[in-house]
This record gives sequence, C-alpha cells and structure tokens, in this order.
Amino acid sequence: MTAEVQPGPQPVTLTVDGRAVAVEPGTLVWDACEKAGVFVPVYCAHRKMEPVAVCRMCLVEIGTMPKLQPACATVVQEGMEVRTQTDRVRRFREGNMEFLLVNHPLDCPVCDRGGECDLQDFAQRYGPPRSRVPITGKVHFDKARALSDKITLDQERCILCWRCVRYCDEITGDRSIVLQERAVHTVIDTFEGRPLTGEFQGNLPEVCPVGALTHTAYRFRARPWDLQRTVSICPGCSYGCTLGVDSRDDEVVRFVSQDNPEVDDSWLCDRGRYSFPELNRSDRIRAAELRLEGPLRQVPALEATAAAARALALVVEQSGPGAVAVLGTPAMTNEEAFALQWLARGVIGTPHLDHQLAEWPGLDPVEFRLAVADLERCDTVLVLGERPELATPVLSLRLYKAERKRGREVRRVAADPDPAELARTVRDRQLVGVVAHEGDRDAALRVAAALAPVNREVRRLTLTEGMNGRGCKDLGLLPDLGPGYVAAPAAGMGGRAILGAAAAGRLRALVVVGPNPELEADPAFEAACQRVALLVGVTTVPGVLSRHAHALIPGRTAVEKAGTVTSSEGRVQPVRVALQPRFGTPPPELRLLVEIGRELGGRWTGEPRATPTFAAIEAALPAYRGTRGGLRAAWPQWERPA
Amino acid sequence: MPVEELRILTRHLGQPQVTERSGYEAVGGYQSLRKALAMGPEAITAEVKASGLRGRGGAAFPTATKWGFLPKGVFPRYLCVNADESEPGCFKDRVLLEALPHQLVEGTLIAAFALQASHAFIYIRGEYRAQRELLDRCVAEAYAAGYAGRDILGSGWDCELIVHGGAGAYICGEETALLDSLEGLRGQPRLKPPFPAVRGLYGQPTVVNNVETLSNLPYILEHGGAAYAAHGTEASPGTRLFCVSGHVERPGTYEVPMGRTSFRDLLELAGGVWGGRQLKAMQPGGGSMPVLGPEHLDVPLDFKAVADAGSSLGAGALVVMDESTCLVEVSMRLVDFYHHESCGKCVPCREGTYFESQLMHRLEAGLASADELRTLADICEHMDGRCFCPLGDTATWFVMSAYRMFRDEFEAHCGAGQCPVRAQAGRAA
Amino acid sequence: MFRELIGGLRITMRNMLSKPVTIQYPEEQRPVPPRARGRHILHRYDNGLEKCIGCELCAGACPVGCIYVLAAANDPAHPVSPGERYAARYEINLVRCIYCGYCAEACPTEAITLGPRLDLADYKRERLVATKEDLLESWPGFRPTAAAPGRPDPAPRSELAAPSPTAPVARSATDTA
Repeated sequence: MTAEVQPGPQPVTLTVDGRAVAVEPGTLVWDACEKAGVFVPVYCAHRKMEPVAVCRMCLVEIGTMPKLQPACATVVQEGMEVRTQTDRVRRFREGNMEFLLVNHPLDCPVCDRGGECDLQDFAQRYGPPRSRVPITGKVHFDKARALSDKITLDQERCILCWRCVRYCDEITGDRSIVLQERAVHTVIDTFEGRPLTGEFQGNLPEVCPVGALTHTAYRFRARPWDLQRTVSICPGCSYGCTLGVDSRDDEVVRFVSQDNPEVDDSWLCDRGRYSFPELNRSDRIRAAELRLEGPLRQVPALEATAAAARALALVVEQSGPGAVAVLGTPAMTNEEAFALQWLARGVIGTPHLDHQLAEWPGLDPVEFRLAVADLERCDTVLVLGERPELATPVLSLRLYKAERKRGREVRRVAADPDPAELARTVRDRQLVGVVAHEGDRDAALRVAAALAPVNREVRRLTLTEGMNGRGCKDLGLLPDLGPGYVAAPAAGMGGRAILGAAAAGRLRALVVVGPNPELEADPAFEAACQRVALLVGVTTVPGVLSRHAHALIPGRTAVEKAGTVTSSEGRVQPVRVALQPRFGTPPPELRLLVEIGRELGGRWTGEPRATPTFAAIEAALPAYRGTRGGLRAAWPQWERPA
Repeated sequence: MPVEELRILTRHLGQPQVTERSGYEAVGGYQSLRKALAMGPEAITAEVKASGLRGRGGAAFPTATKWGFLPKGVFPRYLCVNADESEPGCFKDRVLLEALPHQLVEGTLIAAFALQASHAFIYIRGEYRAQRELLDRCVAEAYAAGYAGRDILGSGWDCELIVHGGAGAYICGEETALLDSLEGLRGQPRLKPPFPAVRGLYGQPTVVNNVETLSNLPYILEHGGAAYAAHGTEASPGTRLFCVSGHVERPGTYEVPMGRTSFRDLLELAGGVWGGRQLKAMQPGGGSMPVLGPEHLDVPLDFKAVADAGSSLGAGALVVMDESTCLVEVSMRLVDFYHHESCGKCVPCREGTYFESQLMHRLEAGLASADELRTLADICEHMDGRCFCPLGDTATWFVMSAYRMFRDEFEAHCGAGQCPVRAQAGRAA
Repeated sequence: MFRELIGGLRITMRNMLSKPVTIQYPEEQRPVPPRARGRHILHRYDNGLEKCIGCELCAGACPVGCIYVLAAANDPAHPVSPGERYAARYEINLVRCIYCGYCAEACPTEAITLGPRLDLADYKRERLVATKEDLLESWPGFRPTAAAPGRPDPAPRSELAAPSPTAPVARSATDTA
C-alpha cells in the first residue's frame, strides 16, 4: 500500500534503431534504448546515480546532430531518432575500447573479476582484435592495497568510471573515496589515505565494473563458472534485502546484491553481506541425538521426532498441556512458524508460545503501514533513536536517498522524544513517516498520535529483530495473539515468563526451535534448559540448547531451506535452497515439526513442504493471499483511519 | 603603405603611471564606469551589442548575446573574468594585466553592473604571480576610490571584486572547469546543460568573459559601440590584440583592426621572419588550431576567412615557423602539452593524449613504423568530437593538420632512426 | 585351381616368415609422436617456482569439466608461484579428460601441457584423479629444506622423452598396486 500515484504526463515517442518506443518525459536516451530492447554499453553510467558521461562508451548518433552524443546524459525529445549500430558508432566503440586498454594491466588470469568483467566483455564484443601498445608502455600505480579488511584496491585496473567516488557521495554520503592527480596519473584513493570505515563497503566491488575494487573475503576463491547462484533473502536482519547466494562445492563463497527497488534498491550492508561464513561452519549439528529412553545415542532424525513426541505425550498426560511451552526463533520461516503455532496450540494445546523475550501487548499491523519505498515520498521522516539504523543498516541508505535525491526532510530525534514539541515543528505536511525499532514502539505510537491531528497523514514503520521477526508475529507465535493478530483462544506466558517458569520448575517440557541468538545469550535460558524435565531442541550449531536437549535434532540454515519470510514492512518474500548441508540431507524443520505433531495425533493436511504450507497460510490469513512473490501483505487494519 | 597598429584597446599603453589609479584616471580612466552607472544596464548592453564585440578568449561568441542568456529575475548572479590564459602562443592577457590592469578592473565593473552581478571574480592563472600582485593592488585601489564594494559611486549597487589564483591547470581556462575550481572542487569541466548562464557558480546564473573582451568596454562606452565596430569589418568588428611569436624579428603583441589586416600585415609588423629566412608554416589562434602555410599569408584576420582557410583565429596568436622547423617536433611538443594538461575525466582524452604522446616521441626520434602513422590517424579520429570537452578535440587538430600539410615530412621520419629535418639542417639533436 | 592355391599359400608363407608388427606392450612401448597428448604435466620455472598461478582458465576452457582448481594467495615468505596467486588444489580426472589440449592452449603461463605418457590404465577409479602432487614435475635444482621438504619425484623431467619400457612409473608416493 503506497501513497497515491499522480496521473502520468504525456509520454515522449522516439525511435531507436528504427524501433519506436514511448517513455516518460525526462527519460535518458540510455534508458529509452533499454526499453526498446537495444543494448548500449556503459561504464560510468549507473541506474542509481546521476550521469557524468565520462567514459564515452555510450556515444550514439542522434538525428542530424553532427557529433555523437552520450546516451546516458541526453534527455529524450519527441521524435528523436537514435542510431546505435552505424559505422561511426561501431568504429568509435572499437577506438574507445582500445583507449581503455592502453594502460590497463594484463591481470585477467589473476584478477577476481575475470569471467564477469565488463571490460573483458566489451573488449570482446566491441574492441580491437590486437594491441598497438607495447606492454612496457603502461603507467603503474599501487596494486593489491587493502583499503580496509573488506576491500582491496588495485589502482592500475581502475578505468576511472567514477562510480565508486559517486557511490560514496550520492548513495552513502561519506565521501570516503576521492580522485587524485590529473590526466593519466589520475587514481582513486581514500580521502587522505584513511582506511574505509563505512557499513556499506561491500557494494563497492559491485558498482566497480572491473577488478579495481574487490572483496577481500572473496579473493581468489572462485571463478564465476564455478558458482551456483540462488536468489534468496538476506538472513542478516528484518529489512528483507534480496540477494544472490553464490556457492561452490556446497559452501557459500559470497553474497551478491540483487535489485529490488522497493526494498534494498540494489544495496546490501556489510553486516549482512559478509555474514555468510556463519553458514559454512564446520561444527554443525550433523545427527539427531537422544538422551531419552536410554543413554545418549545418535539416531535418524525421524526417529528422534517420534521419541520426542512420545515424551511430550507423556508430559501432557501427566501434567496437562500447560506444562509444555514452545519457543521459536525470529529466524524461522513463515511456514515453520505456522507449523510451530499449530503444534503448540492445535496439537499440544498449550497457550505458552513465543519467538523472543520481550512483551508486545496490543500488537497491531498499523505499526508497519509505512512502506520502505514510501520513505522517499514522506515530506518528513522522523527516526527515533539509533536502533532503527543499527537493526537494519540499509535503511540509512534509503533515508539518505530521500534527503539527497528527493529533497525530503529526515530528522533523527531521541528514542523517546517529546511528542508535543515535535507536533509544534512537524505540522501541515502531506505525509509524515515515523520510524522506530520495535523496542521503542510505544514512543512511536505517542509521536504518531501527537502528529496525526496536525498533519494530513502519519504512518509508522516499526523494525523487528531477526530475519522473520515480522512473520513470526503475523503468524501468531505470540502468547496472546494467533495468526493474523486475532486474539488467541487462551492467553499464555511469553518468552521471558516461560524461561522464568521453566527455571522455577513450573514447566515440565520445552520445545525450542533455534538457533535463537537472543535466547542463547540470556542466562535465564540456560537455567531453564537445565531445570526442565524434557527439552526438545531443533538447531544447527552447538550452544546452550544443544548441550541440554534431551532430543536434539539438526536443523537447516537459512540457505538450505525453502519457504517465505516477512520483512519489517510486511513484505512476504521467498527464501530458496541454495545448497544442501555438507554432511547430508536432514529433513527441514517444517517436516520435523509436522512429524512431531502427527505423532501426537495432530492433523496436518497436505505435504509438510513449503508451497502447500503457504497455501494453508493464505487460507488462514487472507492478508497473505497472493503475496508469495514479494508483495506486502494487505492488512485490513490499514484501512482504518489512522 | 606600411602596416600600422591601431591602438584602441591599448591606447593608454605607456602613459605615465597608468598602472596606478592616479595615472589611469589622468588619461580618463573610470569615466566610462561613471557613464555606465548613469546609463543603466539595458543601455550598456545595447552599446555592447552595437559594437559587435565578440569574446576574445577563443570561442568568439557575441558578448551581448551571452549576457542576454541570464534568466530574468534570478539573483544573485556573478561575473567571472577568465584570466587563466594558458593557450600556447598567447600572452595578450598578460600584457593587459601587466600594462593596463585598471582598464581591466574598470571593464569588469562595467560588465558586472550591466549584468547586475553582486560579485565579480577574476580567476587569474597561478603562474602569473607578479601580475596577480599588481592586480591585487589595483583592486585595493579601486575599493579605496569607491569603485568597488558597497554603494559604488553612490549608485546603490554593491559589487565585490575578488581575485582568485589558479594552480597550474590549462583546463581551468574552460569556463565550467573554471567555475568548479573557483568553488574549491577539482578543476574539471561540467556536463552541459545546464549552462553557466542558467546555473553557474554555486548554482547561480553566471557569465564568464575574457580579459581582453572586458578591457574593451571602457572604449566602447566612451566612444559608442558603433565607433568601435567601425574599426574592423562588418563580419569582424573592432580591433584585436594579436600575439606574434616564434621565428620573427620582433615577437610581441600587436593591435590591429580585424578583417582589414592580413597575416602578411601582421608578420610585417613583427619585422618578418627572422634572419631573412623563409616562412615554412604558421599557427594562428594558439596551440589548438590547425597549421597554415605561406599560401595563406594574404588571408585576412577575419573569423570566417580564417575558418574557410581551414584554421581559426582562436585566442589571437600567431606562431611563425621557419624552414628549419621540424613539424613533427612541433606536433610532438604540442601533443605533450595536451597530454600534460588533460584533466583525466574522459577516456578518449586521458588515454588518447597519452597514446598520442608516446607515439609522437617515437615518430620524432625516427623509431616509428609507417603503420604507426595509421595508428596516429585512428587515435585522432577517435578523439575529435568524442571527448567531454574541446581540450581532447583540439589535442588532435594541429598534428592532423600538420600531417596533412607536411605528409612527406611525417613519412620521412618513419624508420629513419633520427629526425631527418634536423639531420638535414645540421643542428645538434 | 592350383594356381589360386599356390597364390594364396605364397601370401601365407610370406607373412609367416616376415617379422610380426605386434609390440609386447607394456614391456615394449611404441614411441609416441612428439606432439602426442598424454598425461598432463604441471611445469615449473628453473628456480623451482610453479608456473601455475591458479587462474582456473584451464578449468574454464575444459569442454568436459575434468579440472578442479582452488586458488590461494601466496605467502610472501614462502611463495609457491611467482606473483600473488597459486593453485592450492589442482586435480584432473584422467578418465573424464578427453585429452583435447584446450587447457594447455588456455594456460597464460604455459604451466600445463600434455606429456607423452599414454599408459594410464588402473584398477581403481579413485586413483585416476590426478592431484597436483601427481602432475607436478620435479626440477634438477631441488634441495629439500625444512620449510619446503618436497616429495619423492613422481614425474621426472626426463619424462619429456619417451618413457622407459621396463620400469613402471609410480603414479603417486602412496601408490601400492
């Protein structure tokens, strides 16, 4: 649900190589060519940055203009005739490629960009067949210099497209990369030679068209033809950035950005991008272990689920369903959360269910009515405290875009500001956005309530923790709410209370799906695990849960399973299987939970697989209907007056 | 009849203490400024239009037309004086700065008033240290006399006059690079549109004019635009200060009426080719312009006529080369100049001038093969009209014209092992 | 009738008494042509550094995907190859390989060539995946040190000539068949 769309202006028609195309006024010829299906090679032009027309690769013939014009910097006119395949254009492309190769080092065999390099590709396609410059005649600069622990710079390979300089200026605003010297001695370098310290360095090798800026973490790891790419969602936070998981030999070697203009806008933060080593850990839980019905032994996973179910049945029979509590993790997929919710309430019959430790009384989807993309349409955005940008770093780039490119006001205020004071200065706007971390949602609610009477519209965006913090809430992994924010049949204990009750001996069994970093870090969790009589745990890596579980079943990481996750703004996006665990093919958590439930006599229609489970979710949650491909859920609560 | 200079622009040259305010005022200095303040901006612009004055920086754009591009009602606006004279062979602005600095200050203030500018910046080439000091003193004198600053001469108009030094970059003579440099950024040309008249210095409407152009304004206001125009021809009105250098008896600046004077006349004024030698080649317009030969001596100093002859009057220079000159060596030196001065922004100029330079050195030393002449032609084809700004284009004009006009000489260098022209002239390498 | 019989028998007698062309392989071996493409060799420079820089172009050019290369950065104190990059793992599946030589053509440093050895049969398929140790040539100046103890020479340089017909060459130090 985005802000109202204004009716569009009259389109401009032009021809590109004889093909007619209609575009909005103000469109660049380069974009019009793309729409017409004509490829124009570029180096300096970038869809997210202002044109500079320095590489000259995009020069094309336009109408009767005597000189070739840069397609990336020329605005379309009605009736324009663009020609990209004439002899003049072809000859110039060959000449320009020759110029680019005059000083470029012969590094291809040792350069990480080889195989996915625009310089190689365009040289092959448009360039001259042989060199007319002796190798010894090239200028020399620094090679393989660490700009930080994440980025390596090779100044000789740089073709001076300025994309990195402009990225640091227009996208992140930190201006950490600059041009130095003049003519052929021009190089890029960091400002005053300082190391890079930003949180978005990992986008630099992607904007760089050659191997001048490379990921240190990817150095020499693979060639593009070694890689399997799977498009999925970043597991780092709840913003929901789309990324490509590149794996070689069943190990993730890098994450690459994809472009979702509604969310990440083609950027990733370093924390998310470089989190993949966590997915390659060698100390994975490889086999299910039982400390039930006998000494510790390894068993097949589905044997462990059966044993766990029997043990749970015994607890319920002896002490009632209220003696069992269920804890998930905000990293679970929607399908897993749905199954866990069914297992807890529908099968075991316990009301004690949660996915994290804080309390959220009165949760309402109105708290995330503001879409990420709408941040750049707000007249004013208020950001409460530091936590929103710490939780979801890519948010900072969208906020800077709103300021820099759209001229919006972005105000960073205290985490709990004085609402009356704000209402004095933020008034008479068309749309005000209030962005807060879920820990500050009460403050956000107060601010929104104070601003609503003096502005036309106020919308909030609340950021959750964990890859699927929002989905777990939408699907009712909460003690007081069921799926769709409907009141649960009986309110139970939440995460913190569950831990306390378990440690005090008031709960006999805990079913925990992990890994849940918040639980693992909390001493109350260890106390609970030690005390409780039955601990059923599903997790991927060693920790408190694995040490104490009576039935321990291996799980799958975010890149080893299929399903959907819901971002903070309520966008439902698919995660896909990028690789199988190296030690085997354990059943996914969804299957494990359904098997436990079925063993306990529960009914689960259909196969315990992601796609049919999502259909079941759609049936239970009309707001989720048709959203699987990356749409925001449509909450009826959003239609209420704010 | 022997050729004579026509001292209009430089009429006060040599007057006692004319570089000081008192000396300049004694010959009528700053009267035109007073007249301008009384006339008002529209009347001033009308006189400049009537004079037909065209920019003297090299582009020869009609000055009044350029002034007319400023959008109405948008303030503040700025005037920038381009004193970043760096074109090889040009030193006329230096002469004006050294000998008639107050005339420039007066012309600047007249133009700033006509444009209703709040600030006038004089961007002076960094290497002109002594000239800058002199100019600073003259500007201080102007302020002291109330010609600059607040409520100038009681007119109610404020204008700050600021002198800013460059730091050794030819590219900063290009108007948008000048503006970026003035703003404290890297001196590199800007993407146009938007044009400086609409969005220039600090995003405000700006006009950039050359030193010589503005130095003509006191005369134009004193005697009227029509009187100025009458000194040249209809197509090329007024006079021009030409810099003659190279193999001549008396190198220097010579002011002559446009259109009625020819290259031969100019050469005669400068005493002819030195030592009684023969003219081999001459380059008008500064380092950018194509070469001309003895057959062009009678071409008049008129924009159109010189363009028809295949070159351009450019910034008003004439470099004379005698029969001992190796055109390959001259081409090499000019290419080296562009290679050094390239700002590095666009690929064809940055890499092309480097490639050209390497090749020209090989050619000059007699080490290049005939194939490399083909490469040279290709390089120039891929630079001319393809670069971000005219620097890259002009880096090819002289060498290509020299190659066309002196093809045998270029070809004789191929594989010769040394420069054949120098070997023939018996000069030491 | 007799003429045909005599004619046929004459051919039989002629062949009976002439030298057979059969070669008693593997005790005798037919000399291979100089450009025959047999088992691969990873070459070194005269100073012992490996020519292979781990660029993976051989793997990329290979039409059947029989080459596995894992590159790594050289330790400047103990470089394996000149420059920054070397092959930490280099394996060729000798039965998948079609001995086309595209890898040798693709190699920018002439590190990999196909040598004259054609006698590659074995009883165990696992032994037919040649590792870098199997493929690397030795070099005359080799002296083991504590930092680079080296390994028994599996593929002597003299192998560039025709192989010895009598001495079976060990495929790897751990070969026991």
